[in-house]
Amino acid sequence: MATVLSGNGAAAWGFRLSRVQCYPYYPITPSTACSQQISRWVNDGAMNTVTINAESEHSAASQIIAAGKDVRSGTATSSKGLLYMIEVLENAAGGSIPCGLFIGNRATGAPINIWADNSDAYAMRDSGLIQLFAADGQEALDNIIQGYRIAEDLGVRLPFAVNLRGFTGTHAYEGVEIPQEIDVDRYLPPFAPLNPLFAPEKPVTYGAMLSATFYRRHKRNQMAAMSNVAEVALKAGREFGEIFGRPYGLFEWVGDEKAELVVALMGESASPGDAVTRHLQGKRGIPGVALLKIRLFSPFPAREIAQALAKAGTKALVVFEEGLHHGAVFPPLAQRIATATHLHLGTDAPKVASVIGGLGGSEVRQDHFQQMFNLADNIAEGRPYRTEPYWLDIAEDPIFAESEKEAAPQLWKRWGEVWKKQARKEKYFDPLPKNTEEIRIYSRAGQGAITSAVGFTGAGIESGLQLLTVPAFGSERRGAIITTDTLVNDRGKRKIRSFNRAWDVVILYDDTILSSPEHNVLEGLKEGGVLLVNTSRLRVTKIREILSASESRLRVFTVPASEIAQGLGLSHLNMAMLGALHRVYEKVPFEKAFGYYEKHVPRPRESSLEAIQQGHAQTTDREAVRAKKERRLVVSGDFLDWRPEDHSYDLWPTALEEIQLG
Amino acid sequence: MKLLPRSRPRRRDYLRIPSARKRWIRAMNDSKPNTQSGSQKIQDRAHLLSARSRHKEYLVSGRLVTIRDPEAGPETTRSDAANAGSKSHMVAPKTLTVAEVARESPDGIDTQKVLSEMADIGPQARLLLVRSGEKLMRAEVFEDPRICMDIQRGAVVENLTEKPADVSGWRTHEFFIDTKGCLGDECGRCAIVCPENAIHLMGRGPGSFHEIDPLACKGCFICWVECVRTAADCILVDGKTFDPTMRSKHFGE
Repeated sequence: MATVLSGNGAAAWGFRLSRVQCYPYYPITPSTACSQQISRWVNDGAMNTVTINAESEHSAASQIIAAGKDVRSGTATSSKGLLYMIEVLENAAGGSIPCGLFIGNRATGAPINIWADNSDAYAMRDSGLIQLFAADGQEALDNIIQGYRIAEDLGVRLPFAVNLRGFTGTHAYEGVEIPQEIDVDRYLPPFAPLNPLFAPEKPVTYGAMLSATFYRRHKRNQMAAMSNVAEVALKAGREFGEIFGRPYGLFEWVGDEKAELVVALMGESASPGDAVTRHLQGKRGIPGVALLKIRLFSPFPAREIAQALAKAGTKALVVFEEGLHHGAVFPPLAQRIATATHLHLGTDAPKVASVIGGLGGSEVRQDHFQQMFNLADNIAEGRPYRTEPYWLDIAEDPIFAESEKEAAPQLWKRWGEVWKKQARKEKYFDPLPKNTEEIRIYSRAGQGAITSAVGFTGAGIESGLQLLTVPAFGSERRGAIITTDTLVNDRGKRKIRSFNRAWDVVILYDDTILSSPEHNVLEGLKEGGVLLVNTSRLRVTKIREILSASESRLRVFTVPASEIAQGLGLSHLNMAMLGALHRVYEKVPFEKAFGYYEKHVPRPRESSLEAIQQGHAQTTDREAVRAKKERRLVVSGDFLDWRPEDHSYDLWPTALEEIQLG
Repeated sequence: MKLLPRSRPRRRDYLRIPSARKRWIRAMNDSKPNTQSGSQKIQDRAHLLSARSRHKEYLVSGRLVTIRDPEAGPETTRSDAANAGSKSHMVAPKTLTVAEVARESPDGIDTQKVLSEMADIGPQARLLLVRSGEKLMRAEVFEDPRICMDIQRGAVVENLTEKPADVSGWRTHEFFIDTKGCLGDECGRCAIVCPENAIHLMGRGPGSFHEIDPLACKGCFICWVECVRTAADCILVDGKTFDPTMRSKHFGE
């Protein structure tokens, strides 16, 4: 039974189930919640682990290295924090210390940017760590357990890092299968140090100075251990599948077995690519397509990937990359793939093009993959293509341009001939089927929208659907307007993590959002979709009037959620809104969901449940009988102390946690 | 050149062993398990550190901090703790080659089976044995990934098997401690400051003295400068107790 967890929460479970014995950390967005969760477990006695509040990432890394000589150790970090760790991480690799890192991937600036890309992972590329990329929370959890298994293998003994894209990975809430402890113990043997620091009969020195001869010979050994990783990882992934039912390879091949056109990438951005690949598969006039999701980045499984591409008869390979390699011909992944294919396949190697996107939290959308497959098609046809990276979402530097006006003049001078020979083929741009139903909440930061969405996600998962909630996080202050998106998939077992951005329901936690000049709440709302507004002063007709939507098929509902909350003495209106959501969206049955809420609602539980009931009952699409005076909730201390993680973890404890914590 | 500058007595004052340190050295020597009185002495002057830990108390006597359980009655010194814990301390796992397995035939494994498994791998085959006390926790055959077998995994140096290098060629002067001048275990300053750990205390109590290991001494002069007796009649350099040129170079006199 899947439990609702964020990517960070899943990573924390990975460390917990791996029985990490020492976990020093220094928090940094977006991986903070992982460390926070672990220190909470340690405080509650659920984990028998030493946590250290380090004074910097540099110290945290030094501490996992020191501890890793005797016990299993790990930490989590991101961005500049990882860069600060790199100085000592080479000692972990050189010292053959199998410690573990979870990285919520984030841009490294300047300019400062807290959102996702792979800059940090690429910066640590040459530190000698094993680098695994996870596509969602489940994979992060599984990869951490497997990471320890691979890193501690007696033929390897190297540190590892598990990467998950910041926010869309680390802060996305979805159903995660938490493996049983007993199974993990069967899979991952207890830590065995090869050269413990505290064994008095055999004192050892780590990090002694070595002259050229010995240094050189040691580095030869280190590389030999690294070259064992691919084989060990394959075995570990296979055995993981045997025990937990989720086998892992060095990469995942999604799409046709014979694929002329392949898009290669790493990590969470594969979600929209997945949807596009399955959509394009078997379409008339489109050759075989596949998505190559690379899981093991370092050491790069060059031979295995080259063989897979040769077997599939790939002609054109477009490598999508969320990071840069300043001054190099291609960014890191494209460069590794190009080297691999040319070394192993020679003149039969597919043509490799590079595309850069997703930088600094840039959205990676379905239409990007449509463009990339179109580009691959052109390359396979023998049309000329760039020998430097293409970029996504740069208006002055589009992938397809027909005239000089569409591109920056200096680029047209250089690549004009290439642009002129490209063909934009409409068959690649057919809109994707809307297989999912999507809900968007507009709220003010601090109103508890994420809490209610996470609760809704949990209830949905329990009723057998697949749900995904991705809140938007930013530099907004409390009170700013934020969005929280939830995806509901009721078709089959295959997980969908890609939003179509066509909303079935749009919810406003605050009627003042209607007048925000920055937000058009009707944008993306489906024809015949629902707009649900928390208001006691506006009538349905008035709302239609404000939105100039008097004639449209839009269905408008109102609920006096603030009033309900105030009546019950609650400081948050989110529970009343949760009840109201069930009234306007019935895919998750209210009766069933209420059973879930009875176990999991935030404290005070009685009032919260009552608020859900009242919100559900008082939602209406009619004219409100009496227009009430606007009421404002009193801001309480609880309200000001609000953290999204607190709500999601503390107030929505998972069933399993409750059992374990008694 | 003035041979005995006026400032010398003051410097000598500065370099004299502080009385607190003398007491500490005595206490250290006395606190050996057999001497009850010494241990008693420490307790007399000891005070408890106001530590935040609920689980342990920290007893400070001189420069020695002893950790003990609260209200544990008689103190547990560090050395006692080490002795008491000898059963629970960490034991390094063993990594054996084929030849070593054949020779030792370790307890708890099917030697024949393991040997044939190792033979399949070849000369790089190793057997890892992890024990906790007498209990065998893990026995695993694996292939040693090293190419250069003279370097340990992680470039770890095994301190006890490492032979000290002969660095006598580094020094340009010969250093020798005159046993008549040396204060022995009353002092020990040179042994503490030696960066190469080349000075060792010989004997105990009156008549004890320090000795310089001629293979390990790099001739850095630190002991000579730091000697509480200002090396007046203690450390000989090239057989001389006093050399004005050298003095002026190292003491700036």
